[in-house]
Amino acid sequence: MSPTRRVAVMSPQTRHAHARGRLRGRWRLPTLEPRDADRAVVIFQAQRRLAVAPLVLLFAGMLGLPLVFRLFPGLDQLRLAGIPVSWLALAVLPYPALVLLARWQLRRAERVEDER
Amino acid sequence: MIFAFAVAPVVLVTLLIGLRGVAAMRTTSDFLVASRRVSPLLNSAAVSGEYLSAASFLGVAGLVVKDGVGALWYPVGFTAGYIAMLVLVAAPMRRSGALTVPDFAEARLASPVLRRVSAVVILVIGALYLVPQFRTSGLVLSVVSGTPYWVGVVIAGAGVAITLALGGMRAATYVQAFQFVLKLVLFIVPAVWLLVSVGPAVRGEAVHPVEFTRFGRDTPVTFRVGVTMDLTESTIVRTDDGVRLLEPGPWQVAAGTRVVFPAGAAVPEVRGEPLPGGASWQRPLLDLQNAGYPLLGTWALLISLMLGTMGLPHVLMRFHTSPDGRAARRTAALTVGLLSMFYLFPGIYGVLGRVLVPHLYLSGATDTAVVALPAQVDTGVAGTAFTGLLTAGAFAAFLATSLGLLLVVSGAISYDLLPGGLSRLRITVFGAAAAVVLLALMAIRLDAGVLVTWGFTVAASTFCPLLVLGIWWARLTVAGALAGVLAGLLGSAGAITVTLFGPPLSGWVAILVAQPAPWTVPLAFLTMIAVSLRGRPPAWAATAMLRLHLNEDQPTSAGPLPLRDLRHSTRPADRSSTVRRITGRLVR
Repeated sequence: MSPTRRVAVMSPQTRHAHARGRLRGRWRLPTLEPRDADRAVVIFQAQRRLAVAPLVLLFAGMLGLPLVFRLFPGLDQLRLAGIPVSWLALAVLPYPALVLLARWQLRRAERVEDER
Repeated sequence: MIFAFAVAPVVLVTLLIGLRGVAAMRTTSDFLVASRRVSPLLNSAAVSGEYLSAASFLGVAGLVVKDGVGALWYPVGFTAGYIAMLVLVAAPMRRSGALTVPDFAEARLASPVLRRVSAVVILVIGALYLVPQFRTSGLVLSVVSGTPYWVGVVIAGAGVAITLALGGMRAATYVQAFQFVLKLVLFIVPAVWLLVSVGPAVRGEAVHPVEFTRFGRDTPVTFRVGVTMDLTESTIVRTDDGVRLLEPGPWQVAAGTRVVFPAGAAVPEVRGEPLPGGASWQRPLLDLQNAGYPLLGTWALLISLMLGTMGLPHVLMRFHTSPDGRAARRTAALTVGLLSMFYLFPGIYGVLGRVLVPHLYLSGATDTAVVALPAQVDTGVAGTAFTGLLTAGAFAAFLATSLGLLLVVSGAISYDLLPGGLSRLRITVFGAAAAVVLLALMAIRLDAGVLVTWGFTVAASTFCPLLVLGIWWARLTVAGALAGVLAGLLGSAGAITVTLFGPPLSGWVAILVAQPAPWTVPLAFLTMIAVSLRGRPPAWAATAMLRLHLNEDQPTSAGPLPLRDLRHSTRPADRSSTVRRITGRLVR
């Protein structure tokens, strides 16, 4: 039971490194198993190819619908069950379309991973 | 009273489920590993629960009352954003192992500077997103219980900060999933009840809008902020001081005034706002700033919302609780479905609100339309009960979003900007909450939907290019990423500042300043690409990117080798030069 504080013996450099502490996890150089590298390239290129169609559909649909409303103001007068068709096309129609798009893309993206 | 009956149960049940969730987690060895086993359905309910903020629950219906049917583009954009998320970000982001965008910056580009800059962006997005949550809770409480605006804001700030500091986020997934179901029920049931009990006359009026030019009955209006109105004819109104005759012309109303307009009186016009129900109100396009370019306004909004969703820090954090990249992708897809269910209903509140509470547009409190509706339909027990239910739902919306956001903001401050321990994190939570409360006290004039959309705009102009190019382009360099994020941040934040404090603008310039996404997003992308092309990415850049696309569930790397490889004495596929040759194709 010595009253003096026990210290670990270490080189000044090590002590300096310990004192500085590691605030966040140390960044490590990313590595890839050689056999995985080939597969990763194939998957990456396949996913990149598959990503084009849903994005084009999404942006064409979302930016196209306002254009339709702008070009055909008559849709405001046309009524379905008393409700203007243009209101229905805005408040209801996009949601099932988006759900279908999500489902379709999910299937395609997962199939790429299943095959490789 | 309503506060006690509506808000207290939400807070209590949330706490109980939180405690139950913590107990369930303790049975496994590691809290973090446990939370990574969350199934896609539960996780997508949690994502939706966190995502449906006060802007969704109250703001959209309020904007429909004020700006017209075109405001329904907001929920469409909120949902469509998850498709972009699903296609571009969800799975690779989860595989990067990064909890937040600053983490991602470090994992993909190994840059501490970019990490700090991303943390600053998180502060900006967090402030733009949190202020309307606090503001709306202050407004709602002042409507249902008559307290002053600041009381609600302070209660909200204190409640969120205390819950978070005590560790309320530990069982976040269960709480948020529960809150999604709660919000869904508390939103749909009153909507159906309203539709049934308003009667055919109001339903007919709702789909055949007429301009709100005359008060249909004696209408009390409480002005929470001072406004200047233009009276078109002399009107006799009752105020707290007695009956007053108002001459035609401009009329300054001080904040806190209560005025009763008699039935049949002409509705005064608020400067710069068209009357609800007019011709432009019925158009399914959003004329931002009333600039006269509805198509451009709608497009600007949609670009901001669709691209901004993938950069929202509190949503990205949720994807990390999925077990792997594939589950994260499924979570994004299921979230589209869950949000679609919810967003079928704000329009109903909006068009009914236009018929029953159009006067809210005078006082600038259209965000409270949802909560104000039941009392207009039924003054008895049922009306009070449904007001209570909707208030409870609004508080659930506000709680879930604020908790997640405040956690991300405090994390950005105490991990990325001013590193410190856990005690520092707790202090930061209170500091951040206090700052947001102060901002919210000043922001009573600004609509929840507008402020939240600005949060999306900043995310779309900074994190969207960083994540998309970081995940899909191996040539991205640190300098390019920094330049792009800074360009997007300065562009979008500068435009928002000009809108808030600058001179009034008109025409298409006003739209591009109030909703700058159409030019700030391309600006950020182009800056990032141009600066990156001038530099050279490090040798490991392609490997760092490819890792994000490799699915984890394939056993090839850890499992037994294919037979044909065993026949050779050396396996060329195992040499690191092979990796360099394969990945080198992507960088050149």
